[in-house]
Amino acid sequence: MPERKLIATLRALLEGSVEFILVGGLAAVLQGAPVDTFDIDVVHSRDAGNVARLQAVLEALDARFRMQPERRLKPNASHLASAGHLNLSTRYGPLDLLGTIGRDLGYRELLPHSVELDIGEGLRIQVLDLETLIALKEELAGEKDRAVLPILRRTLEEQRKG
Amino acid sequence: MLVSEPMATSDPASLTDYSPDGVDLTLIRWMLSLTPAQRLEYLEERVNDIITIRELNAGT
Repeated sequence: MPERKLIATLRALLEGSVEFILVGGLAAVLQGAPVDTFDIDVVHSRDAGNVARLQAVLEALDARFRMQPERRLKPNASHLASAGHLNLSTRYGPLDLLGTIGRDLGYRELLPHSVELDIGEGLRIQVLDLETLIALKEELAGEKDRAVLPILRRTLEEQRKG
Repeated sequence: MLVSEPMATSDPASLTDYSPDGVDLTLIRWMLSLTPAQRLEYLEERVNDIITIRELNAGT
């Protein structure tokens, strides 16, 4: 049976006590949107303690920047404390760490807009809710975001119908 | 002898449900019928299948 790499990444973050909110395509899938996605996008808390815990997990996952793979650059604490986006490759596949998304929205601002979901194997994670995902994608208005918006909106409508 | 039952309707269009902007609502309803854990498992199976196919066809 092939290794479940998505859940392995999320498990590593949870077991490392990292505070994060799942956003992006995987967050949409977990809430019922039939979209394809291959990576994991998370907004992490940039508090010093969380940055240290996250760095330890990334070390264990052998995380490196996807840019310039030949240099095998590791993310450091100052990268993790920044508001920017870190596109990493780990032994379980791509992982994008986002300091902020949208209009400078970080972990603290997004937490009230997240829901806790049971993803199996005894794991529960915070996931950005569909309403906020849609609002952020409407704001970004990039081609990729516009393409997925109709699916997210219809999923939310169907979800509300119960 | 097997006799196929006539379908309740012969119009395939009545067996689909697309939103005005072309989204397949039957697929969304199917996804919503699963738990988050089942959705994740389904996605992982799909991703693994796609990676396997890509590896089988590497270089082509």
